Amino acid sequence: MILPLGLTLNFFTDTGFWIGVGVLAGIYALVALGLQLNVGYTGMTNFGAAGFMAVGAYAMAILVLKAGFSFWLSLPVAMLIAIGFGLLVGLPSLRLRADYFAIATIALAETVRIIAQNADSLTGGNQGLFCAEGGAGACYNDAWTNLSTTIEGWLQSLGWTNPESLAPLLIVVWLFVVGATLGLRFIQKSPWGRVLRAIREDEDAAEALGKHTFAYKLQSLAIAAAIGAFAGFFLALDLATVHPLDYEPVARQLLGGARRRGGLLDHPRGDAVHRLRPRRHPDRSTAVLHRRPGADRADGLPAAGDVRQAGGDGPR
Amino acid sequence: MNDADVDAERPNGKPILEAAGVVKRFGGIRAVNGATLDVREGSITALIGPNGAGKTTFFNVVTGFYRPDGGRAAFQGDQILGARPHAIARLGMVRTFQITKALARMPVIDNMTLAAPDQPGERLLNVIAHPRRVRRREAEVREQAIELLEVFDLARVAEDYAGTLSGGQRKLLELARALMTRPRLLLLDEPMAGINPTLGRRLLDHMQRLRADEGVSFLFIEHDMEVVMNHSDRVIVMAEGRVIADGEPHEVRTDQAVIDAYLGSGTVVEDERA
Repeated sequence: MILPLGLTLNFFTDTGFWIGVGVLAGIYALVALGLQLNVGYTGMTNFGAAGFMAVGAYAMAILVLKAGFSFWLSLPVAMLIAIGFGLLVGLPSLRLRADYFAIATIALAETVRIIAQNADSLTGGNQGLFCAEGGAGACYNDAWTNLSTTIEGWLQSLGWTNPESLAPLLIVVWLFVVGATLGLRFIQKSPWGRVLRAIREDEDAAEALGKHTFAYKLQSLAIAAAIGAFAGFFLALDLATVHPLDYEPVARQLLGGARRRGGLLDHPRGDAVHRLRPRRHPDRSTAVLHRRPGADRADGLPAAGDVRQAGGDGPR
Repeated sequence: MNDADVDAERPNGKPILEAAGVVKRFGGIRAVNGATLDVREGSITALIGPNGAGKTTFFNVVTGFYRPDGGRAAFQGDQILGARPHAIARLGMVRTFQITKALARMPVIDNMTLAAPDQPGERLLNVIAHPRRVRRREAEVREQAIELLEVFDLARVAEDYAGTLSGGQRKLLELARALMTRPRLLLLDEPMAGINPTLGRRLLDHMQRLRADEGVSFLFIEHDMEVVMNHSDRVIVMAEGRVIADGEPHEVRTDQAVIDAYLGSGTVVEDERA
């Protein structure tokens, strides 16, 4: 292999690197599941998935850091906020069809990001949110860190002598992916799912047969928002920061076919590989690594920072 | 069948759909310009007129697909003008489309079962909380769907994607699907267009049977004068957005305004029933 500038590719053989990639793949698999419901099943071209993630992640961090919620309570509340945001977005924009709806969703997701970048007192602006100022033990992810340590303990008792710090997150994320896949499969196979497919094929035909298509599209959006919120939580736990640039709206999660049930699960590698494409991001490449409380885990992973930041970055 | 028989079968003969002064404008053009018509309960009513007369636009307005610019319409006494299409369909007034809207990437059987009313499984809560009830209803619905598909000679393609059907089969599927909703009034936009004569006859027979057995009423747009004159008991003629004649087939055929606007003086249609 050609190694310009003396770079090594050791990280390719490093378990920690692959676990980091696996976590991101799982997070984006979740996003893809929400999109599969919207785009593949309901025929709504939703480019706003990053907006749902952002609202979920920010709501969670703000509730914990600024409103004094416990981490565990903040999760369902933040999910409800993301759903509320989804409905709020849907009420006016679902009256638009096809392309126009897609444009509106990009705009709204961008709006979320720009607000996050500028509402400094609430969102920390370009600094993002991680820990309360001065409080050593007051980060939004403290409760998770504790749980993660517990899970690491279990892994050790199972014989993994020195588990990677991201291994617990990997497990939890993929449990969610499996759960969401099965849950979606169940409801998509139902008569409810059939109405969604009918809307995708021809909304007028569905209306003519007495289906309240608007209500179904809102439900589809709400479910995608809930799933997106969880993807946002996981990204926030993975990066140990909530930063606006991690939530730039992009449309690229549909490797493997929009309508395919299981979608990305058929091609998990597709997602991970996609995320590995090197990107330029001068203002963040070092910042994240330095700021992140758990930056030590990036030890020996020169590419890990790139991979993570690529998570939120889109083609410009 | 003469007047007296028709009235004897349906003693009330009251209107199921009453439209008055319906207006739909597109920019400066009044596509429907004060159309007033009644469809009597239990009738098979034909809506005819030259291209551009506003027949399909009238359908689109009364079924909620276009916003009306004026007028009133009541279905079984309920005001419907301006209501959403699904709400109107649920009242029992269901339409088909001139250009068929088969749900191409869904199997024929799913096209049918989709249309069934009262499927609790179309609510997400019931899918999770009452899976048994959903499955039971689904089995009923499927049985009804297969029966109807058999009538229209589509049962053998039940599992095929609707996109693989021919144009004529799609027409039939759309009609069968509309019947799954158990409508009281069916609005059919050129149901015979593109169907072979044998199946067309079957479709007409089925319409007659539905009317006789279940009292379903029909309003259909049709250009085939033979079908109109021989298979409808009332004919409404539209031209330039208005209703210019309304009556029994033999009355309409001899109406001078209708001849001028649509039929032309050369048209001679044999009335099989005369």
